[in-house]
Amino acid sequence: GVSLLLPRLEFKVPRNFRLLEELEEGQKGVGDGTVSWGLEDDEDMTLTRWTGMIIGPPRTNYENRIYSLKVECGPKYPEAPPSVRFVTKINMNGINNSSGMVDARSIPVLAKWQNSYSIKVVLQELRRLMMSKENMKLPQPPEGQTYNN
Amino acid sequence: MAENGESSGPPRPSRGPAAAQGSAAAPAEPKIIKVTVKTPKEKEEFAVPENSSVQQFKEAISKRFKSQTDQLVLIFAGKILKDQDTLIQHGIHDGLTVHLVIKSQNRPQGQSTQPSNAAGTNATSASTPRSNSTPISTNSNPFGLGSLGGLAGLSSLGLSSTNFSELQSQMQQQLMASPEMMIQIMENPFVQSMLSNPDLMRQLIMANPQMQQLIQRNPEISHLLNNPDIMRQTLEIARNPAMMQEMMRNQDLALSNLESIPGGYNALRRMYTDIQEPMLNAAQEQFGGNPFASVGSSSSSGEGTQPSRTENRDPLPNPWAPPPATQSSATTSTTTSTGSGSGNSSSNATGNTVAAANYVASIFSTPGMQSLLQQITENPQLIQNMLSAPYMRSMMQSLSQNPDLAAQMMLNSPLFTANPQLQEQMRPQLPAFLQQMQNPDTLSAMSNPRAMQALMQIQQGLQTLATEAPGLIPSFTPGVGVGVLGTAIGPVGPVTPLGPIGPIVPFTPIGPIGPIGPTGPAGPPGSTGSGGPTGPTVSSAAPSETTSPTSESGPNQQFIQQMVQALAGANAPQLPNPEVRFQQQLEQLNAMGFLNREANLQALIATGGDINAAIERLLGSQPS
Repeated sequence: GVSLLLPRLEFKVPRNFRLLEELEEGQKGVGDGTVSWGLEDDEDMTLTRWTGMIIGPPRTNYENRIYSLKVECGPKYPEAPPSVRFVTKINMNGINNSSGMVDARSIPVLAKWQNSYSIKVVLQELRRLMMSKENMKLPQPPEGQTYNN
Repeated sequence: MAENGESSGPPRPSRGPAAAQGSAAAPAEPKIIKVTVKTPKEKEEFAVPENSSVQQFKEAISKRFKSQTDQLVLIFAGKILKDQDTLIQHGIHDGLTVHLVIKSQNRPQGQSTQPSNAAGTNATSASTPRSNSTPISTNSNPFGLGSLGGLAGLSSLGLSSTNFSELQSQMQQQLMASPEMMIQIMENPFVQSMLSNPDLMRQLIMANPQMQQLIQRNPEISHLLNNPDIMRQTLEIARNPAMMQEMMRNQDLALSNLESIPGGYNALRRMYTDIQEPMLNAAQEQFGGNPFASVGSSSSSGEGTQPSRTENRDPLPNPWAPPPATQSSATTSTTTSTGSGSGNSSSNATGNTVAAANYVASIFSTPGMQSLLQQITENPQLIQNMLSAPYMRSMMQSLSQNPDLAAQMMLNSPLFTANPQLQEQMRPQLPAFLQQMQNPDTLSAMSNPRAMQALMQIQQGLQTLATEAPGLIPSFTPGVGVGVLGTAIGPVGPVTPLGPIGPIVPFTPIGPIGPIGPTGPAGPPGSTGSGGPTGPTVSSAAPSETTSPTSESGPNQQFIQQMVQALAGANAPQLPNPEVRFQQQLEQLNAMGFLNREANLQALIATGGDINAAIERLLGSQPS
C-alpha cells in the first residue's frame, strides 16, 4: 500500500513533474544561453516531443550556427534516456549522417544515462562534444540544410 | 485547468496561453512584459508589449545590441522565433528568457527553420546605412571607379557579396594583399591621371565626410591637403606600392625600436591619440576606408600617418600616429608600430604617403612632440642610441630616395617657421646635405658613437670659440656648416652647430634623427639643431637634387673651406648684425624678464633666432 508508494516517490520522480520542471527551465533560459529547449507543441499533454537548439561553440567549425534538434522523452523517461535527433544537418561523430539520429552509444550521457540527467544535460553535452578535437574541425555542410525525415 | 499560466506559476507555463488562445478572448490592453534576452556573452532585459510580434521585439533588440534585425536569431524553448510570429504565440511571458544569436553579416543566414536572410538581404540592409558613403567613396576611390567598370567581372574574383560597398572593401583588401594587383590598378591610365591631379585628389578627399571631420579637428590636415607639392608627392608614393609597403615595414621596425626610448613612447602615444585615432576611426567607418583619401591626408584607412621619411606604408590600417606627428625622432615609427600593432594588411592603407611629411611638420608643433624632442635632445646618449639603430639607417636610406620629401619635411619644420631666413639658407644647402647623407662614410660616422662624440667636441669647440670671439666667425654660411655638421653631428643631439655662425639651423626633427637635432629647446649645450638639414633623412635624399656635381666629399670640402674662411675672418655675407636681426627677439626676451642683453644676444645667435631655444640656453647656462 502506502509504504510501497513512498519509496517510489522518493526515488523516482513522476515523469510529468520532471518534464514540467524542464519545460519551465527551458522557458526561463536557465544556463548560459547556448542551448535552448521547449515543447514542440505547446498543447502536447504528454510532454513527449521536444525541440532543442544548440548554438555552435566558437572556434569550431560549428561556430555561430544554430542546430535544431528533436528530443523525444518516452514513457519511461527519466529512467530511460530520451531519443535525440538532429534536424539541422551536421557532421559529427555519433550522429548518423543521413538521418541525424544521435547514436546513444556514442554519446556518454546517453550511454550512461542517469535519471538525474535532463534534456538540458543532453544538449549541453552535445555542444561540448562539438568542441572536442575529433569534432571541431570536421567539415560541415552548408548552413541551413536539414535532414529529410 | 484553463488557467492562464502566468509566467511565474510553477507547473503550467506554456499550457496556459495555448489554452487561453482557444478559449478566452485576449485581454484588451497589452500588458508590458519583461523578457530577458540572453546571448552567450551577455544578458539584457527588455520591456515590450505582450502582444508584440517577433519582428517588433527584434527591432527593440537590435538597438540595444547594435545589430541589424536581420542578424538576430531568437530562440525560445528550443524553437526559432519567426518574425511574423508573436511572443504570445510562443508562450513568452513576463520573466521568461529568450536566447539570442547574432549572426555575423557575411554569413548567409540559414537555419533549419529559417532559410531566409540570404547574404544578399544582409548585404542590402547593411549597405543601406552606408549608401551615403558609397557614392563618395566611389568617387574618391579609384578602386571604386575600377569596380564600377568591372562590376560584372568582379564576381569572377570570387567576391561573395553583392553589396557594392562590401565589394569595394573586399577589393581593397585583396589589393592590399596583392601588390601585383595594386600595380595593375596603378598602371591604369585613368587611375594615374586621376592621381596626378592634385586638385582632383583634394576635392575627392574633401568630399569624404570623415575627412571633413578630421580636418575640423586637425586644421593641419587641411593645410596638408592644400599644399599641391605635398599632394603630388603623396600621389607619387601612392603610385608605387612596393615603396609604400617598404615604407610601412620600415616604419614598423623603427617604431618598435622607438618604443624603448624613455618617455618617447608616451609622447608618441599622445600624438597617436590626438591625431591618428580620429583618422583611423574615420577611415574605418567607411567600409574600406578610402585608400586615396588617405593619399592626401596620409591616413585613410587608419594608416594614417606614416612618416613619409620612412616611406614605409603599411597597407593595413595602420593606427600609427600621423607621420608628421611621429616624426620626432622615430617617435613616429615607434608609434606606428606600437599603435598598429598588427599592422596587417588588412585593407586600406593605401594612403599615408607623402602627406606624412606635412603631417610631420604640423605635428611637430604639437606640445607632445615638442616635449619629446626636448627629451631627446637633452639626452645625447639617447640620440646616439637611436642613431645607431639599424632602422635609422634604413630610414635614412629611404629618405634618400625621396629628397623632395625630405626637403619638404625639413622646411616645414616648425623650427624653421620661426626663422624664414634659415629656410632660405637651408634650401640651397639641401642638395648638398642630401648627397652627403648618402655618403656611406657619413652614415657610418653617424652611427659611430665615438665619431659623433668627436664631432660634438668640434662643435662645442666652435661654439666656445664663437662665444669667446664672436667677431671671429661672423658669416659662416649656416647651411653648409650646419649641413655637414648636422649630418654628422646633428643626430648626436644637442651639438652646437657652428655656434654663432650665422643663424644656427635648428635641427629639424625629421624622422628619427629629427629629435636629435635639436631643436631649440635642447638641453645644455643649447646648440640648436646643428644642421637641421641633417635631417639626415633629408640629406640622404636622392642625389638627383644635388647641385654639387662633385662626389661626396664635395660638401665636406666646401664645409672645410668655409670654416677656414670664417676662422680667418673672411666673410660670408648675408649676415646682418645679429643685434639687428634679433631685435624683435631681444625685445621679447626683455619682456619676459631676461634682462641680460648680452647673454640674450648670444643665446639668440646660438639658436639662430629661435626664442624658445634661446630661453632654454639662457636658463640652462648656469651649469654649463
